[in-house]
Amino acid sequence: MNRIGLAKWLLSLSLTFAMLGIAIAGEPQEQLKQTTDKVLSVLSDPSLKSPNKTKERKGLILKIVDERFDWEEMARRSLSRHWAQRTSEEKKEFVTLIKGLLERVYMDKVEGYSWDKIIYEGERIDGDYATIKVKIYTEKDQTISVEYRTWKKGNQWLVYDFLIEGVGMVNNYRTQFNEIIAKSSYQELIKRLKAKSTQN
Amino acid sequence: MKRNQVMRTLFKRFLLSAFWLLLFYGLASGEPDLPIGSSLDSSVCYQPPDLPVIIAQFSKPSLKEEELELEETLDTLADPLEPVNRIFFHVNDKLYFWALKPLASGYKAVVPEDLRLGVKHFFSNLTTPVRLVNCLLQANFKGAGNETVRFLLNSTLGLAGFLDPAKTELKIEKRDEDFGQTLGFWGIGPAFYIEWPILGASSLRDTFGYAGDLLLDPKTYLIKSVSLGLAIRTYDQVNGTSFRIGEYEDFKRNTLDPYIAKREAYHQNRKHKIKNR
Repeated sequence: MNRIGLAKWLLSLSLTFAMLGIAIAGEPQEQLKQTTDKVLSVLSDPSLKSPNKTKERKGLILKIVDERFDWEEMARRSLSRHWAQRTSEEKKEFVTLIKGLLERVYMDKVEGYSWDKIIYEGERIDGDYATIKVKIYTEKDQTISVEYRTWKKGNQWLVYDFLIEGVGMVNNYRTQFNEIIAKSSYQELIKRLKAKSTQN
Repeated sequence: MKRNQVMRTLFKRFLLSAFWLLLFYGLASGEPDLPIGSSLDSSVCYQPPDLPVIIAQFSKPSLKEEELELEETLDTLADPLEPVNRIFFHVNDKLYFWALKPLASGYKAVVPEDLRLGVKHFFSNLTTPVRLVNCLLQANFKGAGNETVRFLLNSTLGLAGFLDPAKTELKIEKRDEDFGQTLGFWGIGPAFYIEWPILGASSLRDTFGYAGDLLLDPKTYLIKSVSLGLAIRTYDQVNGTSFRIGEYEDFKRNTLDPYIAKREAYHQNRKHKIKNR
Protein backbone atom coordinates (compact mmCIF):
# COMPACT_ATOMS: atom_id res chain seq x y z
CA MET A 1 0.00 0.00 0.00
CA ASN A 2 2.76 2.37 1.02
CA ARG A 3 4.71 1.58 -2.10
CA ILE A 4 1.73 2.28 -4.31
CA GLY A 5 1.24 5.55 -2.50
CA LEU A 6 4.87 6.47 -3.14
CA ALA A 7 4.53 5.46 -6.78
CA LYS A 8 1.48 7.70 -7.14
CA TRP A 9 3.40 10.55 -5.58
CA LEU A 10 6.28 10.07 -7.92
CA LEU A 11 3.87 9.97 -10.83
CA SER A 12 2.20 13.21 -9.85
CA LEU A 13 5.58 14.82 -9.28
CA SER A 14 6.87 13.70 -12.66
CA LEU A 15 3.67 15.01 -14.26
CA THR A 16 4.35 18.32 -12.57
CA PHE A 17 7.82 18.39 -14.06
CA ALA A 18 6.47 17.38 -17.45
CA MET A 19 4.15 20.37 -17.35
CA LEU A 20 7.08 22.52 -16.35
CA GLY A 21 9.01 21.20 -19.34
CA ILE A 22 6.25 22.35 -21.65
CA ALA A 23 6.33 25.74 -20.03
CA ILE A 24 10.09 26.07 -20.61
CA ALA A 25 10.45 25.16 -24.30
CA GLY A 26 8.10 27.77 -25.65
CA GLU A 27 6.86 28.85 -29.02
CA PRO A 28 9.08 31.93 -29.55
CA GLN A 29 12.27 29.92 -29.15
CA GLU A 30 10.91 27.10 -31.29
CA GLN A 31 10.09 29.47 -34.14
CA LEU A 32 13.42 31.27 -33.89
CA LYS A 33 15.20 27.93 -33.86
CA GLN A 34 13.50 26.92 -37.09
CA THR A 35 14.82 30.07 -38.74
CA THR A 36 18.36 29.79 -37.42
CA ASP A 37 18.49 26.09 -38.27
CA LYS A 38 17.70 26.99 -41.86
CA VAL A 39 20.45 29.63 -41.86
CA LEU A 40 22.90 27.08 -40.41
CA SER A 41 21.99 24.51 -43.06
CA VAL A 42 22.69 27.05 -45.82
CA LEU A 43 26.00 27.91 -44.18
CA SER A 44 27.06 24.28 -43.95
CA ASP A 45 25.91 23.39 -47.48
CA PRO A 46 29.14 22.39 -49.27
CA SER A 47 27.69 23.17 -52.70
CA LEU A 48 27.31 26.83 -51.67
CA LYS A 49 30.78 27.25 -50.19
CA SER A 50 32.73 28.24 -53.30
CA PRO A 51 33.47 31.96 -53.68
CA ASN A 52 31.39 32.35 -56.85
CA LYS A 53 28.33 31.19 -54.93
CA THR A 54 28.62 33.92 -52.28
CA LYS A 55 25.86 36.01 -53.81
CA GLU A 56 23.47 33.09 -54.09
CA ARG A 57 24.20 32.06 -50.52
CA LYS A 58 23.63 35.56 -49.24
CA GLY A 59 20.31 35.75 -51.10
CA LEU A 60 19.18 32.49 -49.56
CA ILE A 61 20.09 33.56 -46.04
CA LEU A 62 18.40 36.93 -46.35
CA LYS A 63 15.24 35.27 -47.62
CA ILE A 64 15.17 33.03 -44.54
CA VAL A 65 15.82 35.93 -42.19
CA ASP A 66 13.15 38.04 -43.88
CA GLU A 67 10.43 35.72 -42.59
CA ARG A 68 11.47 36.16 -38.99
CA PHE A 69 12.50 39.83 -38.84
CA ASP A 70 9.89 42.55 -38.51
CA TRP A 71 11.54 45.30 -40.56
CA GLU A 72 8.73 47.76 -40.14
CA GLU A 73 8.80 47.46 -36.37
CA MET A 74 12.58 47.89 -36.43
CA ALA A 75 12.12 51.01 -38.53
CA ARG A 76 9.48 52.35 -36.17
CA ARG A 77 11.64 51.71 -33.14
CA SER A 78 14.77 53.19 -34.63
CA LEU A 79 12.92 56.42 -35.46
CA SER A 80 10.94 56.34 -32.17
CA ARG A 81 9.04 59.60 -31.70
CA HIS A 82 9.93 60.84 -35.19
CA TRP A 83 8.10 57.91 -36.79
CA ALA A 84 4.60 59.30 -36.23
CA GLN A 85 5.48 62.54 -38.03
CA ARG A 86 6.36 60.78 -41.29
CA THR A 87 3.98 60.25 -44.19
CA SER A 88 3.22 56.68 -45.24
CA GLU A 89 5.47 57.08 -48.28
CA GLU A 90 8.34 58.35 -46.18
CA LYS A 91 7.80 55.43 -43.83
CA LYS A 92 7.97 52.97 -46.70
CA GLU A 93 11.19 54.50 -47.98
CA PHE A 94 12.68 54.46 -44.51
CA VAL A 95 11.79 50.79 -43.93
CA THR A 96 13.63 49.83 -47.12
CA LEU A 97 16.70 51.82 -46.10
CA ILE A 98 16.97 50.45 -42.58
CA LYS A 99 16.24 46.95 -43.81
CA GLY A 100 19.24 47.16 -46.13
CA LEU A 101 21.42 48.39 -43.29
CA LEU A 102 20.32 45.77 -40.75
CA GLU A 103 20.64 43.00 -43.32
CA ARG A 104 24.22 44.05 -43.83
CA VAL A 105 24.87 44.05 -40.07
CA TYR A 106 23.43 40.55 -39.84
CA MET A 107 25.34 39.25 -42.84
CA ASP A 108 28.63 40.70 -41.53
CA LYS A 109 28.10 38.70 -38.36
CA VAL A 110 27.19 35.56 -40.29
CA GLU A 111 29.94 35.71 -42.89
CA GLY A 112 32.74 37.15 -40.79
CA TYR A 113 32.55 34.46 -38.15
CA SER A 114 31.61 31.18 -39.86
CA TRP A 115 28.98 29.93 -37.41
CA ASP A 116 29.40 26.43 -36.14
CA LYS A 117 26.59 25.78 -33.70
CA ILE A 118 24.01 27.65 -31.66
CA ILE A 119 23.14 26.94 -28.05
CA TYR A 120 19.80 28.17 -26.74
CA GLU A 121 20.24 29.61 -23.28
CA GLY A 122 16.65 30.31 -22.37
CA GLU A 123 13.73 32.52 -23.15
CA ARG A 124 11.45 34.81 -21.26
CA ILE A 125 7.88 35.19 -22.39
CA ASP A 126 5.68 37.96 -21.15
CA GLY A 127 2.34 38.26 -22.90
CA ASP A 128 3.03 39.23 -26.50
CA TYR A 129 6.72 39.89 -25.90
CA ALA A 130 9.56 37.40 -25.57
CA THR A 131 13.34 37.47 -25.38
CA ILE A 132 15.47 34.53 -26.44
CA LYS A 133 19.11 34.23 -25.51
CA VAL A 134 21.48 32.23 -27.66
CA LYS A 135 25.20 31.63 -27.77
CA ILE A 136 26.78 31.25 -31.18
CA TYR A 137 29.93 29.16 -31.38
CA THR A 138 32.14 29.94 -34.35
CA GLU A 139 34.44 27.53 -36.12
CA LYS A 140 37.40 29.25 -34.46
CA ASP A 141 35.83 28.53 -31.08
CA GLN A 142 34.87 32.09 -30.32
CA THR A 143 31.51 32.68 -28.73
CA ILE A 144 29.07 35.46 -29.49
CA SER A 145 26.14 35.97 -27.18
CA VAL A 146 23.03 37.18 -28.96
CA GLU A 147 19.66 38.11 -27.54
CA TYR A 148 16.65 38.24 -29.81
CA ARG A 149 13.73 40.46 -28.84
CA THR A 150 10.49 39.25 -30.36
CA TRP A 151 6.83 40.12 -30.30
CA LYS A 152 3.80 38.19 -31.39
CA LYS A 153 2.08 39.10 -34.62
CA GLY A 154 -0.72 36.71 -35.48
CA ASN A 155 0.78 33.33 -34.66
CA GLN A 156 4.34 34.37 -35.48
CA TRP A 157 6.94 35.64 -33.07
CA LEU A 158 8.89 38.26 -34.99
CA VAL A 159 12.24 39.80 -34.13
CA TYR A 160 12.21 43.56 -33.58
CA ASP A 161 15.75 43.92 -32.21
CA PHE A 162 18.80 41.74 -31.77
CA LEU A 163 21.50 42.38 -29.21
CA ILE A 164 25.07 41.30 -29.90
CA GLU A 165 27.08 41.11 -26.67
CA GLY A 166 24.45 43.28 -25.06
CA VAL A 167 24.46 45.91 -27.80
CA GLY A 168 21.00 46.33 -29.32
CA MET A 169 21.37 47.01 -33.02
CA VAL A 170 18.06 48.82 -33.48
CA ASN A 171 18.55 50.84 -30.30
CA ASN A 172 22.06 51.78 -31.36
CA TYR A 173 20.70 53.13 -34.64
CA ARG A 174 18.02 54.94 -32.72
CA THR A 175 20.61 56.98 -30.77
CA GLN A 176 22.43 57.82 -33.99
CA PHE A 177 19.25 58.79 -35.85
CA ASN A 178 18.00 60.88 -32.93
CA GLU A 179 21.27 62.78 -32.85
CA ILE A 180 21.29 63.40 -36.60
CA ILE A 181 17.67 64.58 -36.67
CA ALA A 182 18.27 66.82 -33.64
CA LYS A 183 21.39 68.38 -35.14
CA SER A 184 20.13 68.72 -38.71
CA SER A 185 16.96 67.21 -40.14
CA TYR A 186 15.11 64.08 -41.20
CA GLN A 187 16.05 64.84 -44.82
CA GLU A 188 19.71 64.84 -43.85
CA LEU A 189 19.25 61.46 -42.18
CA ILE A 190 17.70 60.02 -45.35
CA LYS A 191 20.54 61.46 -47.42
CA ARG A 192 23.12 59.79 -45.19
CA LEU A 193 21.21 56.52 -45.13
CA LYS A 194 21.09 56.47 -48.91
CA ALA A 195 24.80 57.20 -49.09
CA LYS A 196 25.41 54.26 -46.75
CA SER A 197 23.30 51.86 -48.78
CA THR A 198 25.35 52.49 -51.92
CA GLN A 199 28.69 52.30 -50.09
CA ASN A 200 30.28 48.91 -50.09
CA MET B 1 -17.59 7.28 2.75
CA LYS B 2 -14.67 5.58 1.07
CA ARG B 3 -15.27 7.53 -2.13
CA ASN B 4 -15.26 10.74 -0.21
CA GLN B 5 -11.87 9.89 1.23
CA VAL B 6 -10.45 9.17 -2.20
CA MET B 7 -11.75 12.47 -3.47
CA ARG B 8 -10.19 14.25 -0.54
CA THR B 9 -6.77 12.74 -1.06
CA LEU B 10 -6.97 13.47 -4.77
CA PHE B 11 -7.84 17.07 -4.02
CA LYS B 12 -4.96 17.34 -1.56
CA ARG B 13 -2.57 15.96 -4.13
CA PHE B 14 -3.84 18.39 -6.71
CA LEU B 15 -3.28 21.29 -4.34
CA LEU B 16 0.21 20.11 -3.49
CA SER B 17 1.11 19.60 -7.15
CA ALA B 18 -0.15 23.07 -7.95
CA PHE B 19 1.97 24.40 -5.11
CA TRP B 20 5.04 22.63 -6.44
CA LEU B 21 4.37 23.84 -9.95
CA LEU B 22 4.04 27.42 -8.80
CA LEU B 23 7.13 27.16 -6.64
CA PHE B 24 9.27 25.68 -9.39
CA TYR B 25 7.92 28.04 -11.98
CA GLY B 26 8.68 30.91 -9.66
CA LEU B 27 12.21 29.65 -9.10
CA ALA B 28 12.77 28.94 -12.77
CA SER B 29 11.78 32.42 -13.80
CA GLY B 30 13.50 34.06 -10.83
CA GLU B 31 16.71 34.59 -12.73
CA PRO B 32 19.24 35.28 -9.94
CA ASP B 33 19.72 31.60 -9.16
CA LEU B 34 19.95 30.51 -12.79
CA PRO B 35 23.55 30.47 -13.97
CA ILE B 36 22.80 31.13 -17.64
CA GLY B 37 19.63 33.10 -18.04
CA SER B 38 20.85 36.13 -16.18
CA SER B 39 18.60 38.81 -14.86
CA LEU B 40 16.93 41.26 -17.20
CA ASP B 41 16.27 43.50 -14.28
CA SER B 42 19.30 45.73 -13.93
CA SER B 43 18.34 47.16 -10.56
CA VAL B 44 18.68 43.79 -8.84
CA CYS B 45 22.31 42.73 -8.82
CA TYR B 46 22.21 39.86 -6.42
CA GLN B 47 19.55 38.40 -4.20
CA PRO B 48 19.60 35.03 -2.54
CA PRO B 49 17.01 32.89 -4.30
CA ASP B 50 14.45 32.66 -1.54
CA LEU B 51 10.85 33.66 -1.02
CA PRO B 52 11.28 37.42 -1.69
CA VAL B 53 12.45 36.52 -5.21
CA ILE B 54 9.29 34.58 -5.89
CA ILE B 55 7.20 37.42 -4.55
CA ALA B 56 9.27 39.91 -6.55
CA GLN B 57 8.21 38.07 -9.68
CA PHE B 58 4.80 39.60 -9.38
CA SER B 59 6.01 43.15 -8.90
CA LYS B 60 8.70 43.01 -11.58
CA PRO B 61 7.96 45.22 -14.59
CA SER B 62 6.75 43.09 -17.47
CA LEU B 63 8.66 42.99 -20.75
CA LYS B 64 5.89 45.03 -22.26
CA GLU B 65 6.29 47.73 -19.63
CA GLU B 66 10.02 47.74 -20.19
CA GLU B 67 9.42 48.14 -23.91
CA LEU B 68 7.01 50.99 -23.40
CA GLU B 69 9.59 52.67 -21.22
CA LEU B 70 12.04 52.32 -24.06
CA GLU B 71 9.66 54.31 -26.22
CA GLU B 72 10.32 57.39 -24.15
CA THR B 73 13.94 57.41 -23.11
CA LEU B 74 16.94 55.30 -23.90
CA ASP B 75 19.63 54.79 -21.32
CA THR B 76 22.45 56.65 -23.00
CA LEU B 77 25.85 57.50 -21.58
CA ALA B 78 26.47 61.12 -20.51
CA ASP B 79 29.10 62.81 -22.64
CA PRO B 80 30.14 66.24 -21.36
CA LEU B 81 33.56 65.85 -22.98
CA GLU B 82 32.14 65.17 -26.43
CA PRO B 83 34.20 67.77 -28.36
CA VAL B 84 37.47 66.44 -26.92
CA ASN B 85 36.31 62.84 -27.21
CA ARG B 86 35.50 63.33 -30.87
CA ILE B 87 39.01 64.60 -31.50
CA PHE B 88 40.51 61.55 -29.83
CA PHE B 89 38.06 59.31 -31.68
CA HIS B 90 39.47 60.76 -34.88
CA VAL B 91 43.02 60.22 -33.64
CA ASN B 92 42.28 56.60 -32.74
CA ASP B 93 40.59 56.05 -36.06
CA LYS B 94 43.70 57.24 -37.88
CA LEU B 95 45.95 55.27 -35.54
CA TYR B 96 44.06 52.14 -36.50
CA PHE B 97 44.18 52.68 -40.24
CA TRP B 98 47.70 54.10 -40.42
CA ALA B 99 49.54 52.10 -37.76
CA LEU B 100 47.71 49.27 -36.05
CA LYS B 101 46.03 47.75 -39.11
CA PRO B 102 49.14 47.73 -41.38
CA LEU B 103 51.21 46.29 -38.53
CA ALA B 104 48.65 43.63 -37.66
CA SER B 105 48.06 42.72 -41.33
CA GLY B 106 51.76 42.31 -42.02
CA TYR B 107 52.18 40.31 -38.84
CA LYS B 108 49.19 38.15 -39.75
CA ALA B 109 50.66 37.44 -43.18
CA VAL B 110 53.96 36.25 -41.70
CA VAL B 111 53.02 34.47 -38.48
CA PRO B 112 50.86 31.33 -38.67
CA GLU B 113 47.50 31.40 -36.94
CA ASP B 114 48.32 28.73 -34.35
CA LEU B 115 51.29 30.70 -33.13
CA ARG B 116 49.28 33.92 -32.92
CA LEU B 117 46.60 32.06 -31.00
CA GLY B 118 49.25 30.71 -28.64
CA VAL B 119 50.55 34.23 -28.00
CA LYS B 120 47.01 35.41 -27.35
CA HIS B 121 46.47 32.61 -24.84
CA PHE B 122 49.84 33.31 -23.21
CA PHE B 123 49.04 36.97 -22.57
CA SER B 124 45.55 36.10 -21.43
CA ASN B 125 46.86 33.47 -19.01
CA LEU B 126 49.29 36.02 -17.59
CA THR B 127 46.45 38.36 -16.63
CA THR B 128 44.61 35.66 -14.65
CA PRO B 129 45.09 37.61 -11.36
CA VAL B 130 42.98 40.44 -12.77
CA ARG B 131 40.06 38.13 -13.51
CA LEU B 132 40.48 35.97 -10.41
CA VAL B 133 40.57 38.89 -7.96
CA ASN B 134 37.65 40.61 -9.64
CA CYS B 135 35.59 37.43 -9.50
CA LEU B 136 36.27 37.30 -5.77
CA LEU B 137 35.44 40.98 -5.35
CA GLN B 138 32.06 40.26 -6.93
CA ALA B 139 31.51 37.23 -4.66
CA ASN B 140 31.60 35.06 -7.77
CA PHE B 141 33.30 32.05 -6.22
CA LYS B 142 32.52 29.72 -9.08
CA GLY B 143 34.19 32.12 -11.49
CA ALA B 144 37.19 32.43 -9.16
CA GLY B 145 37.42 28.65 -8.96
CA ASN B 146 37.27 28.39 -12.74
CA GLU B 147 40.02 30.95 -13.16
CA THR B 148 42.21 29.14 -10.62
CA VAL B 149 41.77 25.79 -12.33
CA ARG B 150 42.37 27.37 -15.72
CA PHE B 151 45.58 29.04 -14.54
CA LEU B 152 46.99 25.90 -12.90
CA LEU B 153 46.12 23.69 -15.85
CA ASN B 154 47.07 26.04 -18.66
CA SER B 155 50.35 27.10 -17.05
CA THR B 156 51.48 23.48 -16.76
CA LEU B 157 49.84 21.19 -19.31
CA GLY B 158 49.12 24.21 -21.49
CA LEU B 159 52.86 24.96 -21.81
CA ALA B 160 53.02 28.25 -19.87
CA GLY B 161 49.65 29.29 -21.22
CA PHE B 162 50.28 28.91 -24.95
CA LEU B 163 47.58 26.27 -25.12
CA ASP B 164 44.17 26.34 -23.51
CA PRO B 165 43.44 22.74 -22.47
CA ALA B 166 41.08 23.99 -19.74
CA LYS B 167 38.73 25.15 -22.45
CA THR B 168 39.41 22.62 -25.17
CA GLU B 169 39.43 19.56 -22.90
CA LEU B 170 37.37 20.53 -19.87
CA LYS B 171 35.12 23.24 -21.36
CA ILE B 172 36.03 25.68 -18.60
CA GLU B 173 35.59 29.10 -20.14
CA LYS B 174 37.47 32.25 -19.27
CA ARG B 175 35.63 34.73 -17.03
CA ASP B 176 36.12 38.11 -18.51
CA GLU B 177 36.05 40.23 -15.35
CA ASP B 178 37.81 43.49 -14.63
CA PHE B 179 37.82 46.12 -11.91
CA GLY B 180 35.47 48.42 -13.82
CA GLN B 181 32.89 45.63 -13.79
CA THR B 182 33.47 45.08 -10.07
CA LEU B 183 32.78 48.75 -9.39
CA GLY B 184 29.68 48.48 -11.57
CA PHE B 185 28.58 45.37 -9.73
CA TRP B 186 28.66 47.28 -6.46
CA GLY B 187 26.41 49.95 -7.89
CA ILE B 188 28.84 52.55 -9.20
CA GLY B 189 27.64 54.05 -12.48
CA PRO B 190 29.95 54.85 -15.40
CA ALA B 191 29.52 58.63 -14.83
CA PHE B 192 30.48 59.76 -18.34
CA TYR B 193 32.18 58.64 -21.52
CA ILE B 194 35.90 59.10 -22.11
CA GLU B 195 37.65 58.32 -25.35
CA TRP B 196 41.29 57.85 -24.44
CA PRO B 197 43.94 58.15 -27.13
CA ILE B 198 45.34 54.67 -27.93
CA LEU B 199 43.33 52.94 -25.18
CA GLY B 200 40.01 53.84 -26.79
CA ALA B 201 36.52 53.72 -25.31
CA SER B 202 36.16 54.07 -21.55
CA SER B 203 34.20 55.85 -18.87
CA LEU B 204 35.21 57.63 -15.70
CA ARG B 205 34.44 54.48 -13.68
CA ASP B 206 36.22 52.17 -16.09
CA THR B 207 39.28 54.45 -16.17
CA PHE B 208 39.64 53.87 -12.43
CA GLY B 209 38.95 50.24 -13.20
CA TYR B 210 41.77 50.16 -15.71
CA ALA B 211 44.18 51.62 -13.17
CA GLY B 212 43.13 48.92 -10.71
CA ASP B 213 43.66 46.22 -13.34
CA LEU B 214 47.19 47.51 -13.99
CA LEU B 215 47.95 46.94 -10.31
CA LEU B 216 46.81 43.32 -10.64
CA ASP B 217 48.62 42.73 -13.93
CA PRO B 218 51.86 40.77 -13.34
CA LYS B 219 53.43 42.53 -16.32
CA THR B 220 53.45 45.73 -14.24
CA TYR B 221 55.81 44.07 -11.75
CA LEU B 222 57.73 41.66 -13.95
CA ILE B 223 58.92 44.22 -16.47
CA LYS B 224 61.00 46.92 -14.87
CA SER B 225 61.82 48.93 -17.98
CA VAL B 226 59.02 51.28 -19.10
CA SER B 227 59.87 51.11 -22.79
CA LEU B 228 60.01 47.32 -22.76
CA GLY B 229 56.68 47.23 -20.94
CA LEU B 230 55.12 49.46 -23.59
CA ALA B 231 56.64 47.38 -26.37
CA ILE B 232 55.20 44.19 -24.90
CA ARG B 233 51.76 45.76 -24.46
CA THR B 234 51.89 47.01 -28.04
CA TYR B 235 52.82 43.56 -29.26
CA ASP B 236 49.89 42.07 -27.29
CA GLN B 237 47.64 44.66 -28.96
CA VAL B 238 48.96 43.96 -32.47
CA ASN B 239 48.63 40.21 -31.95
CA GLY B 240 45.07 40.61 -30.70
CA THR B 241 44.17 42.89 -33.60
CA SER B 242 45.43 40.34 -36.12
CA PHE B 243 42.30 38.29 -35.27
CA ARG B 244 39.93 41.21 -35.61
CA ILE B 245 40.92 42.86 -38.87
CA GLY B 246 37.78 43.85 -40.70
CA GLU B 247 35.56 44.24 -37.64
CA TYR B 248 36.16 47.94 -37.21
CA GLU B 249 35.80 48.44 -40.96
CA ASP B 250 32.41 46.67 -40.90
CA PHE B 251 31.38 48.74 -37.94
CA LYS B 252 32.26 52.00 -39.70
CA ARG B 253 30.54 50.92 -42.88
CA ASN B 254 27.31 50.17 -41.02
CA THR B 255 27.07 53.28 -38.86
CA LEU B 256 25.99 56.80 -39.72
CA ASP B 257 27.77 58.43 -36.80
CA PRO B 258 30.50 55.97 -35.76
CA TYR B 259 31.41 58.06 -32.71
CA ILE B 260 27.89 57.94 -31.23
CA ALA B 261 27.55 54.29 -32.24
CA LYS B 262 30.83 53.39 -30.51
CA ARG B 263 29.97 55.28 -27.35
CA GLU B 264 26.54 53.68 -26.99
CA ALA B 265 27.80 50.23 -27.95
CA TYR B 266 30.48 50.59 -25.27
CA HIS B 267 27.88 51.58 -22.69
CA GLN B 268 25.49 48.73 -23.53
CA ASN B 269 28.28 46.16 -23.71
CA ARG B 270 29.63 47.18 -20.30
CA LYS B 271 26.17 46.95 -18.78
CA HIS B 272 25.81 43.49 -20.31
CA LYS B 273 29.15 42.38 -18.88
CA ILE B 274 28.35 43.70 -15.42
CA LYS B 275 25.03 41.87 -15.40
CA ASN B 276 26.58 38.59 -16.61
CA ARG B 277 29.16 38.15 -13.94
